[in-house]
Amino acid sequence: MLSLPFSKTKRYLTGIDWIIHVLNYMTKKETGADFMSQIVIEVSGAVNVGELFNRLNAFIKNYPVLCGYASRDINLAPYWKIPPANKIDVLLDSSNVENDTSFETIIKHLEKKINTAFKNKRYHLAFHLINAGDKSFIAMRFDHLIFDAANAEAFLDLFQKQWKEETPFDYKFAPEPAHLSLWMEKFMAGQRVNRAFLKIADNVAPRVLPLPAVKNGFRFKILSFDKKDADTIFENAFNEAGYLMLMPYALAASVYCLHKMFTDRLISSGDYVIPVSINMKKQEKENKQFFNNVSFFIFKIEADIAGNFSAIINSIKKQMYDQVKADFPGDLCKASMLMRIAPLSVLGRLMKIYLKGQVASFSFSYLGEAVYTSYDFMGNNILNLFHMPRVPVPPGIGIFFQRSNERMNVILSYLDGMLKNEEAEEILSLLKFRLGVK
Amino acid sequence: MEKDSNKAVEESLIQEVAAILSRDVGAIDPEIPLHEMGIDSLGFVELLVIMEKKYNIKLMESGLTKNDFKTIRSLSVKIKDLI
Repeated sequence: MLSLPFSKTKRYLTGIDWIIHVLNYMTKKETGADFMSQIVIEVSGAVNVGELFNRLNAFIKNYPVLCGYASRDINLAPYWKIPPANKIDVLLDSSNVENDTSFETIIKHLEKKINTAFKNKRYHLAFHLINAGDKSFIAMRFDHLIFDAANAEAFLDLFQKQWKEETPFDYKFAPEPAHLSLWMEKFMAGQRVNRAFLKIADNVAPRVLPLPAVKNGFRFKILSFDKKDADTIFENAFNEAGYLMLMPYALAASVYCLHKMFTDRLISSGDYVIPVSINMKKQEKENKQFFNNVSFFIFKIEADIAGNFSAIINSIKKQMYDQVKADFPGDLCKASMLMRIAPLSVLGRLMKIYLKGQVASFSFSYLGEAVYTSYDFMGNNILNLFHMPRVPVPPGIGIFFQRSNERMNVILSYLDGMLKNEEAEEILSLLKFRLGVK
Repeated sequence: MEKDSNKAVEESLIQEVAAILSRDVGAIDPEIPLHEMGIDSLGFVELLVIMEKKYNIKLMESGLTKNDFKTIRSLSVKIKDLI
């Protein structure tokens, strides 16, 4: 066993981190920009851009990891090379719009930001402030090499807590071993994961939407539910899917609505395959602020039942139960450690083998309870907090559910040209109906 | 004896919930609904699978009602009935 001491300038990448690097590579190759996301905090009142810059700049300087990049060690394990200090000033730009600017126009501003590639491999984070009269929007754009969605929210939450309490900086970087041991356990996990994928794979590729010839970036549609509507959705999930079964309920509603769109377009080949990211970070005790603490379920919904909401729910619940029982997410974490030896381009091709050149029908995630727990951002009352994730390409389309305090947001993200505007509107309208919100 | 068995199942559930949430056992109140503790669909299914393996029962197929799932205490009574 080759073991190297932990270093402050080196953090080994896990197998899941490496898969995210592959998705980043594939997405960048197709669209010219990274596998990024953006968290948008909508607050009441104006935010002073100078104070925001100073505070954010002081905060991020504590984290040299933010301007690191991937490299490969002498033992061949990939790692994140961390410079001794973060000398890059925070990227923050701002714009002003009229007080009565529509939400759609704000989203168009934000779309431009999330579709902008980072300057080079050392840049992973950027901020944008929109002052819109009596309210403001603070957007944090990040790539998934450095944060998963929950960790990105937690980072903003930490910033807010330090701003509010003026607490001294005391973050201790959590080391990650190279994971160059327990090979038999990893190979056995790889065997089980392989079998699971072969079971999901079919003679034909999963049902997918064709990618547009010209890729101009992602577009976003957002459904935002207040507490009353969110409570209605919880109640409906409880009644139709069972206690605590919100994720299966939300996924079933998404499959049902996208199936309608596929059917309208006369796309009828293959079943639906949907990877669902799940948070593997245990609460409170772990100090894993950066990188990706996730794994995945892989759901397959046969097209024959995709028009029957109850049947979809039952299928998802059964598959979830079977995958938890077999510890598929845990096996995937272990097995993916073996894949780190492969270069990104090779692994990108390998990932498409099982599903006949595809990766998924669409992406889905349900980010449970809000991780950003404060009710304000730098003293401004928060009206909403939502995510704008760029989806890996392929599949180039995804639906995301996410909580913000007592609200719930549903975000449809898709490559420009993949859906007509009317189709995107119809999907959200049907989704709202399916979730039981009037 | 019956009471003792119920208690053992309840303590076992408390330990598993504490492990899933990465909290101390003492911080888990068996009367608080699971969703208020922060258990989500994944955590809930994990809990059921662990208890099924531990007691060799089929919780998912046993026709449980909503009330059976609500708290650790109500779930422990149901599990005891199935053992």
